[in-house]
Amino acid sequence: MSDIALRVNSISKYFYEPETFQVLKDISFEVKKGEFLSLMGKSGSGKSTLLYVLSTMDTDFSGNLVINGENLTGKKQKYLAQFRNRHIGFVFQFHYLLPDFSALYNVMLPALKLGERSKQEVEERAYEGLKLLGINDQALKKANKLSGGQQQRVAIARALINEPTVIMGDEPTGNLDSKNTDIVFGILKELAQEKKQTIITVTHDDDFAKNSDRIIELSDGALIR
Amino acid sequence: MNSTNHIIAITHLTTRIKQTVIAGLSVTFGISMYIFMNSFMSGVNSTQDELAFTTLANIRVYNDLPEYNTDFESLANKDNHWVNVRNPRRIQYTEGIKNSDKIVNLLRVNTPEQVGITTQVNTNVFYRNGAVKINGLLSGVDVENEDILFKISDHMEEGKWEDLNKRSNGIILGVGLAERLSVGMGEYVNLSTADNIMKSYRVVGLIKTSIASVDNGKAFVQINSVRSLLSKNSGYATDVLMNINDFEQARQVSDRLKGLTEYSVESWQESNGQLESGKVLRDIIALAVSLTILLVAGFGIYNIMTMTVNEKIKEIAILKAMGFEDKDVSKIFLMQSIIVGLLGGLVGLLFGFLVSFIVNTIPFEMPGIATLPIDFNIIYYAQSFLFGLMTTFIAGYLPAKKASGIDPVAIIRS
Repeated sequence: MSDIALRVNSISKYFYEPETFQVLKDISFEVKKGEFLSLMGKSGSGKSTLLYVLSTMDTDFSGNLVINGENLTGKKQKYLAQFRNRHIGFVFQFHYLLPDFSALYNVMLPALKLGERSKQEVEERAYEGLKLLGINDQALKKANKLSGGQQQRVAIARALINEPTVIMGDEPTGNLDSKNTDIVFGILKELAQEKKQTIITVTHDDDFAKNSDRIIELSDGALIR
Repeated sequence: MNSTNHIIAITHLTTRIKQTVIAGLSVTFGISMYIFMNSFMSGVNSTQDELAFTTLANIRVYNDLPEYNTDFESLANKDNHWVNVRNPRRIQYTEGIKNSDKIVNLLRVNTPEQVGITTQVNTNVFYRNGAVKINGLLSGVDVENEDILFKISDHMEEGKWEDLNKRSNGIILGVGLAERLSVGMGEYVNLSTADNIMKSYRVVGLIKTSIASVDNGKAFVQINSVRSLLSKNSGYATDVLMNINDFEQARQVSDRLKGLTEYSVESWQESNGQLESGKVLRDIIALAVSLTILLVAGFGIYNIMTMTVNEKIKEIAILKAMGFEDKDVSKIFLMQSIIVGLLGGLVGLLFGFLVSFIVNTIPFEMPGIATLPIDFNIIYYAQSFLFGLMTTFIAGYLPAKKASGIDPVAIIRS
């Protein structure tokens, strides 16, 4: 096994509406395992678009995307869904939990979908995850009854449950106050350093980016740093 | 099976219980109305049939006028002849059926479906009692077989049908006729034939069929009595009537028999077309109305499921981001429709039965029935459930398809 978690090779992408516009221009880079990477850039620079290409959810691009040694360009949606389930964890700006389910069940969902462990095991692991993030006391509360910071920590626990190759975040602290930002950032940093978890997040918070291992900056769809 | 999908589907249903109940009720309503409409129409149809078949036989054999032959040229002898045809008309050389036993045997041998055959001699007579003189129909009947065909003994107002066999001058009068003649049980009534033959009969029974033409103008006597009244031989009959096990088949059976005898063979459908067309029309109305209601129920489900999908669109995006496939997403939503359809449908079956049952007790005073008629037939319950599930499936499939096609990136980034 190489120590490369993710590699992109000359990725380009166009938007066709309202007019043809190249949003990503020949982007290539590598991310090592255990690296905490920040994607920066002004709004409209294409950083979020790049993240969703990396996430395998956006397949309308040219170039190569390799995650965990596997080339994902041109794979079928069904395969990519299974791949995401196994190898990618997501943390979004707006938490995006299933509001009618308990925090615990939200964390369990990706593992239940994966189906590699029994329900009981999954439940234990989910509980462990919540404990790691310090919100095990909220485990049985409905997701929509939790505060923003708590919800984001549940989302991180959910992203971790299948021990994915990469965790991707789209401004995971963008919607949090400074106290919760610190907590969430601390957790991500710790995951990268102690658990050697690869993390790629889009952010425009300079402090956040400065504290990460590496910054990649986009401008007008091209890599400038 | 992926039980995670089930859990999500059921959670969606239980957390939006109000919408679930409304969607379920639209199915319940559709299915129960389907059951009620069809049971009711079928009840009306069988009541109609029952009424009609108290005097109408499935198949009738009688002596009709010969066919009207307009091919006069064939009547002329070859060449050198002029034929002058003036006022052509049909002439009936024989009246009635001379040897009815032969026809009865013919029917019995050739129709394994027969459940009863009887012979009648029908003639128009004047009923007299003192100064009152009423034109009416006299039916000479084979007492036992007449009852097998028409269950006429069920309609006796007074006296017994079998009593007609006990005395050769016994007569059973329609109640209306008896009233107009002012005669009662045990009294005598005179009648005269077209040839002015008079005879006196003793009233042994009164009959009420609720068919006006029978009650107000018909009487029954032994067949031999009419034969002698008309000076006919002992095998004479005007009508040979037959019932078969399935009256719907009468037309086919009569078509089969037509070539076998020189007499006319006629099914009830041919002689009473309006009965059949009324029946077909009622069936069409029932089907159209009930399918429309089911369609409306389908729209109800479609509407609510579309709303659910729109409401849950972020959840769908997040499920897809976490690795749920398109198939999983469509299953989650289709399952909701099916659960709603099944539950609503089961309640609908019960409710349909209940409505039918209640309507069946509503008094409806019409000839031959006391309450509104309902045909409690399991087939309508099976049909409605099947159609109901099909409707829910189709109505649920479209929103589910929409949900599975959602692009998660577009939702998450918006």
